[in-house]
Amino acid sequence: MTTSDISSNSEAKISTPSRSSTSSANVTKRLQTELMSLMMSSPPGISAFPNDENLLQWTATIDGPDATPYAGLSFKLSFEFPNTYPLTPPTVLFKTPIYHPNIDFSGRICLDILKDKWSAIYNVQSVLLSLQSLLGEPNNASPLNGQAAELWDKDPVEYKRLVLARHRDDEETGLGSF
Amino acid sequence: MDHKSLVFASVFPVPSISHTTPTPIATPDLGFTAPGQSFGGALSSNNAGQHREVKRNLAWSTATRFLSLPKAAYGEHAQFATTGYGRPWKGTDVTEALEYLLAGDGRSADDKEDGLIDWYTNEVRIHFVSYVHPALRSIWDTEVECQKAWSALAETQQILQQFQRLCLQPFNDHILPVLQQDNTKTTSANTQTRGTTQVQPSFASWKFQRNLHALFVHSLPSQRFSKTLSYVLYNSGCRLFRIYVDKGNAIPGDETIENIPVLRTAIMQLLRGLHEVGLGGEQAQKAFAHAMDKLMGSFIVSHYMKVDWYARKSVIAHLRQWVKDGFSTLVRQVMDCLKEESSSLHAIELQQWQDMAIGRLGRSRVENLFDFVINWDRSLGAILDIKEFLKTPAAKAHLSTSFSQQVSRRLLHPGATTTYILNVYIHIIRAFNELEPKGVLLERVARPVRRYLKERDDTARIIISSLLADIHDEHGNKFVTSGELSYEIAAEMQKPIPTFSQDQDDDLNWNDMNWQPHPTDASPDYKKSKVEDVIWFLLTLYDREDFINELKNILGDHLLRNQDPEYEKEIRLLELIKLRLGDDKLQACEVMLSDVLDSKRINASIREDKIGPAIPPPLPSPHTPENIPRTPQPRRPVPAAASLKPPSTPTVQEPPSHILNVQILSSFFWPALREDTFLVPAPIHAMQRAYEARFERVKGMRKLRWLPALGRVKVELQLDDRTVEADVQTWQASVVYAFQPQPGEEWVGRGKGKGKASGEGITRNVAQLVLMLEMDELLVRNALGFWVGQSVLKETGTDTFTVLESLALETAASAAAAQDAAEVMQAESVQASAVVSQSDLLMQNKELYRQFILGMLTNQGNMPTQRILMMLKMAVPGGFAGGVDELRGLLGELVGEGRLGVVGEVYGVRKG
Repeated sequence: MTTSDISSNSEAKISTPSRSSTSSANVTKRLQTELMSLMMSSPPGISAFPNDENLLQWTATIDGPDATPYAGLSFKLSFEFPNTYPLTPPTVLFKTPIYHPNIDFSGRICLDILKDKWSAIYNVQSVLLSLQSLLGEPNNASPLNGQAAELWDKDPVEYKRLVLARHRDDEETGLGSF
Repeated sequence: MDHKSLVFASVFPVPSISHTTPTPIATPDLGFTAPGQSFGGALSSNNAGQHREVKRNLAWSTATRFLSLPKAAYGEHAQFATTGYGRPWKGTDVTEALEYLLAGDGRSADDKEDGLIDWYTNEVRIHFVSYVHPALRSIWDTEVECQKAWSALAETQQILQQFQRLCLQPFNDHILPVLQQDNTKTTSANTQTRGTTQVQPSFASWKFQRNLHALFVHSLPSQRFSKTLSYVLYNSGCRLFRIYVDKGNAIPGDETIENIPVLRTAIMQLLRGLHEVGLGGEQAQKAFAHAMDKLMGSFIVSHYMKVDWYARKSVIAHLRQWVKDGFSTLVRQVMDCLKEESSSLHAIELQQWQDMAIGRLGRSRVENLFDFVINWDRSLGAILDIKEFLKTPAAKAHLSTSFSQQVSRRLLHPGATTTYILNVYIHIIRAFNELEPKGVLLERVARPVRRYLKERDDTARIIISSLLADIHDEHGNKFVTSGELSYEIAAEMQKPIPTFSQDQDDDLNWNDMNWQPHPTDASPDYKKSKVEDVIWFLLTLYDREDFINELKNILGDHLLRNQDPEYEKEIRLLELIKLRLGDDKLQACEVMLSDVLDSKRINASIREDKIGPAIPPPLPSPHTPENIPRTPQPRRPVPAAASLKPPSTPTVQEPPSHILNVQILSSFFWPALREDTFLVPAPIHAMQRAYEARFERVKGMRKLRWLPALGRVKVELQLDDRTVEADVQTWQASVVYAFQPQPGEEWVGRGKGKGKASGEGITRNVAQLVLMLEMDELLVRNALGFWVGQSVLKETGTDTFTVLESLALETAASAAAAQDAAEVMQAESVQASAVVSQSDLLMQNKELYRQFILGMLTNQGNMPTQRILMMLKMAVPGGFAGGVDELRGLLGELVGEGRLGVVGEVYGVRKG
């Protein structure tokens, strides 16, 4: 169902601009709904909010799960939704520097549901929840950061130290003043 | 001659002072010999000159003595004038002397010698100064009072005329004949030699007269004189045309003048007289012009030019007629008096006067245009006057500035209700449409009004509710214009829908043979509105979106309240608006309308269905409609006009007459509706379940979500001594139903019966009711208040209410209290509309807003209030129901809870 939908949709986008505008209106609508549900039932430790009125770019925040090296830290992520969302996945990047086996130093994430396993039933909330659990349970089989993957099992203390060393509090928000 | 100069003259006789001393006093002028000539000689010309000198002096003496004017003050002149003159007898010596001096050799040969005429002129001058001027000064030295203006002029004219006669008589009798005689003599002879020095008699006469008149004119204070003259002319003009402007200044004592022809003659006589004594010159003409100018002004503000409120006709024709037949005739007559040569009036002058008069009338009308607009319809006459005035571009500019000022001063202030402004706006539209059908002016003057109306937040609501309002109430009377409804708009709605082609670009229609360019003074965005249609103007006040949103809210409320089963008005309104705003945006409204119409049908079909097979038990639906993609939103039924009869007797009857009418609404398209939930009385609940089941069968598994707070109930309460019937809100019905003794049957599982079977009535308190009905306390109190007002309940203690089974027990005082409560409730129940209000919305969504604010600040960092507000409006579906102040309140709460921190205007999430 999804594949046919995608093809038809992309065709429509190319052929008639009016259709594409309706599709972007659909994206907006969908994102609005997601935002609403996220706000109304936001699970602890995750939150997200659009950057401006076009709703296609969001910033999200994940608190590191307890009992992991990331406990007590919070991480910012950026979401960029394509016009074909939710048929294609959003581009998600870690903005806060993070030391993690599946995340490289530019914040790119290796997570299957953001790539080939994406499905339209996923949403921002499920992505964030997946990422939160990824922090606690990295997939060391296909690491982007080999050293981290190694250290994760071998030297939790060193790992923790590197995590803390890499982590930067978001100075842009300047929350320290409060 | 005054005393001092007389004394002086007696010692040092000066010929220039005393012309009556004719003997030559000066040493005879012997002259000089020309160079080269012999000095002296018996036959030299000097001797002849000397001789002539002596002779001339003698003649001079004789003539001047004869011609000198009598030394008498003004009053005595009358005698001279009447009884002939006390002049010495005119002997031959005098005649000879005159002839010698005027026509003979004694005529002033060169500039050194005074001519007799000059001397006479001077004599007249001195006489005037000595004897006549004092009399004039007594009249003119002080301010001339209005009442005396006429007599002052008349007297002056008389004095001067007499003096003039006195002076002219000797001149005409003695000097002129000699001159004429001489003239005829010389003209017969060769005039070549003496032509230059020849004194033409007519010229002499003219010159003398001119000198005399100059003397008169200069003797009077010119300013005062012209003012007085102009006043007199103006005043008599007013009386001629019977213009009564200010009564205080009428000239008393001239009753004769009430007779118009007599008055006219009198004026002409006076003017002619003034002209004769030389006062009809330029000065008088100026004064006259001034007077006529004022007269025209007075005429325009006079009763003749009053706005015709009854016949509603323009007075312009009348004005033109007056200028033509009255004004210009008078001008012509007066000018004939003031000018020697009669001037004919040019047609163009008349035209100019008429234009001027219309211009003035127009300006005076424009000053009151606002009043005319307010009283539009009856003020048609005035508007037509202004229309006539509007023929020049300057007039238009004047009108639009003046009217804009009036509007901003008198209309666009906080004291005026929106309804009033709307009504005035409609009047403006109508009046200006009459004034200038092209609509350029209307566009210009209406702009500030429109802008102001846009700022008022209740404008759209009033417009739409007025459009939906009934123009006649049930008694067939016109409804009283309340603060919320505009009769004008409602009346406008009754008119047939005009047909017009929508958004057709006339400029591109090449086949339009009636095409006309836009008016030259039109603004760039001028659009020729073909339909002069008030509703169109009202509907274009707003941006389409805003207006439609408002329309949705009001229409929703209206549909839910409406009793009319046909929804004629609503359908009509929608059609009307569709015509104007285009139908693409009005989908929601159409759905709403079709919802209520469908509901009617469904109700009917389900009720029929009831008679058929037994009601199947309601089945839990396997999937909720929310999960079905792209289906219409779940429809929310509203019980409307269910009737239930909670009897006061302990036994609960189940009357079969309960009728449940359900409105099925597509919630997606409806505005936010009141969603308070509470338990409806059991019988109603049962009916709802049954209805639901049937609905699901009819409508293929669609599920109903009930909104008990909407809808109306007809209740009949049977109390011990009376029956109360009322049409009430659902929660009010539920509350009163809860006062029914409840023996604790199975259906009351949720509430605990506290019924007492005594005739005393049942007592419950607020807390119990809240619990029993699972109802909001606010609603419970609202309902209790309502029933207290209906004298069904009575508050026996704090928050405790008892059913008033028997009204007879009640004292009058508590009845009055009940009355008060009823009034209070009446006021409050107006507030409880079906559609959620802004502040309600704010309260309802408070938690949502808080979440959004927290989410926003967590992810986007610290933000100032304005940005938070902007983001909230953008991100929250349906927008933020409030402004900066409401937002500050929310933020303040969050800061108070320690969840946010604030520095100045910047808020941020507090960590930890």
